[in-house]
Amino acid sequence: MVARAGAALAVIVAVGLFGTAPAARAEVAVPERLQNVDRSTLSFTYEPGVFEPQYTPPAPGTYELPVITSIDDHPLIGSAGDATTLFALTGEHLAVVAFIYTSCVEAVGCPVSHAVLHGLDRALAADPALAKRVRLVTVSFDPDRDTPAQMASQRTLHEPRTDWRFATTAGGAELQSLLDDFDQPVAKLRYEDGKWTGLFRHVLKVFLLDGRHRVRAIYSTGFLNQALVLNDLKTLAADGGGSAAK
Amino acid sequence: MSRSIVAALAVVAVLVGAVAVRADETCMSPYLPKITGQEDYLYVWTLGIEGVGDGSDKLVTIGANPKNAKTYGKVISQVSVGGRFEAHHGDFDDARRHFWVSGLDDKSKIWIFDVAADPEKPKLLRTIDTFVQDTGGVVGPHTFFALPGQMLITGLSNSADRGGRTAIVEYNNAGDFVRTIWMPKGAEYGYDARVQPRLNRMLTSSFAGAANYMRDFGEMAADPEAMKHFGNTMVVWDFHARKPIQTLEVPGAPLEIRWALQPRHNYAFTTTALTSKIWLVEQKDDGSFGARAVADIGDPKQLPLPVDISLSADDRYLFVDTFMDGTCRVYDVSEPATPKLVATEKIGSQVNMVSQTWDGKRLYFSSSLLSKWDKKGKDDEQFVKAYGWDGTKLTPAFAIDFKKEGLGRPHLMRFGQAQFYKNQVFAGGAGTETVAAAR
Repeated sequence: MVARAGAALAVIVAVGLFGTAPAARAEVAVPERLQNVDRSTLSFTYEPGVFEPQYTPPAPGTYELPVITSIDDHPLIGSAGDATTLFALTGEHLAVVAFIYTSCVEAVGCPVSHAVLHGLDRALAADPALAKRVRLVTVSFDPDRDTPAQMASQRTLHEPRTDWRFATTAGGAELQSLLDDFDQPVAKLRYEDGKWTGLFRHVLKVFLLDGRHRVRAIYSTGFLNQALVLNDLKTLAADGGGSAAK
Repeated sequence: MSRSIVAALAVVAVLVGAVAVRADETCMSPYLPKITGQEDYLYVWTLGIEGVGDGSDKLVTIGANPKNAKTYGKVISQVSVGGRFEAHHGDFDDARRHFWVSGLDDKSKIWIFDVAADPEKPKLLRTIDTFVQDTGGVVGPHTFFALPGQMLITGLSNSADRGGRTAIVEYNNAGDFVRTIWMPKGAEYGYDARVQPRLNRMLTSSFAGAANYMRDFGEMAADPEAMKHFGNTMVVWDFHARKPIQTLEVPGAPLEIRWALQPRHNYAFTTTALTSKIWLVEQKDDGSFGARAVADIGDPKQLPLPVDISLSADDRYLFVDTFMDGTCRVYDVSEPATPKLVATEKIGSQVNMVSQTWDGKRLYFSSSLLSKWDKKGKDDEQFVKAYGWDGTKLTPAFAIDFKKEGLGRPHLMRFGQAQFYKNQVFAGGAGTETVAAAR
């Protein structure tokens, strides 16, 4: 168990050290100091499997997805380095929007998000009629390390078969405004001397938007389930893209 | 490539998953981060008493870290909300930054405090005073259960007849109303709601309407007609669809619900206030649920009135407070169908809520049930008491007299930690560093 934890720390360090080179004025993370961390306190809230879905999601169209809140447009940077916006990426499609940082190794965090969107991409590819109404969007909240090139490499890694966009931001106020609008709190986890560990504290959230940029579902631990998200997409698609809801 | 990605993600999951199974801080939503180490603060949502202090309902912050002698067991701060509204329950949002609390009276107000900016001194951010209007007549916002980006709130009553017919309500984290779902026919009463995400199941329990809980307890108990108006049901819901799928008969007002937390434990406990029993609600092989009484709590004929319960992180110990005899009974529920009483501790003349730390080593008790149900005269002790738990006995740590301190009737308790909000890792011993205990 100790050995496995050591390996986990090695992964963190490796990602931090050999990931994308930080931009000129970017804050430098010092993940190597995490090796001195008391492993028992580097535990995450839940072990993988605790919330592994053990249910069959309700059938599409048998339930309602109320409007939770509405989202404004926000500037983003595409994986080709192009200036774009959230609405430019989602259009008036149904959209599954995930906030991540590519260095995240929290087992019930960003890796789950990547895995579920990857699975959704494949499931949508097998359902072209639905796929043409859906956009998948992965946005990094770690612009210092998740440069457009890093997001492009993520895209290459996943080889999307449907319309799956990868983006980052310019950081600063633009990023904060985006996160505030989605109510996606993110905080850098620091050592006592103020140096950054390279880790973020964040609540895993993936958002389902309808064609009018309204949040219709928010998935986190336990409910970020590919089959369930797919049924939600079908539910909204059958409801005119969710536009009928008040 | 797809296979390699999946394999890589699986490897990461296994590596990072090399940590102990941890569970809830006794009863909170799995969707909010937990304080896994020593708590620094105890937030106590407190009912005002006329003539005691400013007489208003208030959020009281108590020092809970014994390493800080200046504040340990002492009141650090208090924020009054300017009146008495039958302060009762509340909980944090999904980021644990905002603390939502409510009043059960006919105004049914909700207050949202920011505890992140200065965890020693929570600040009132927003008051929702349109709950009854927003929800189409729901009264008595009771349980607050954080969902991603939302707060799920159970009602106790309704504005039409102040009876037990009520609903589940959702607001978004900004405090804007989302929807109301009325309880199903035949199981109209409400109280608690708890979700087990991996089963996509929510359980709700049932209590009584404002006509009962806002009435003097002795008067009500002597009124046979009033005593007919208590809940006798629990409802199993398809949570994602928010649809009731099964009604369970659980006579005698089933109150707090605690899902077991270990991965293969597909069951929950509740206790019935009027019949004084522990009930096991368990998933059957066919996926449906059954409920059965598995133990008496004290002598049911004496009406001990079990109120709050707390299940330990390892699903081993169930702490049960009984209001009338002011006692906490600890059951070993390793075999959930056969609870064994392993400890009994008299906490005070009356006791209501119990909050257990993540590691199960510390428990906090508060005295007040409802302003009109609390005992009278010298038996109306109002306190918060801290205890240690070593697996065999409860040992007193500190006590605060809420009347002497001019505060009121303490009810709901939740934990805070400075380290959590500073997002820092701290220097440990022997040249090591430790990461913030709360994630």
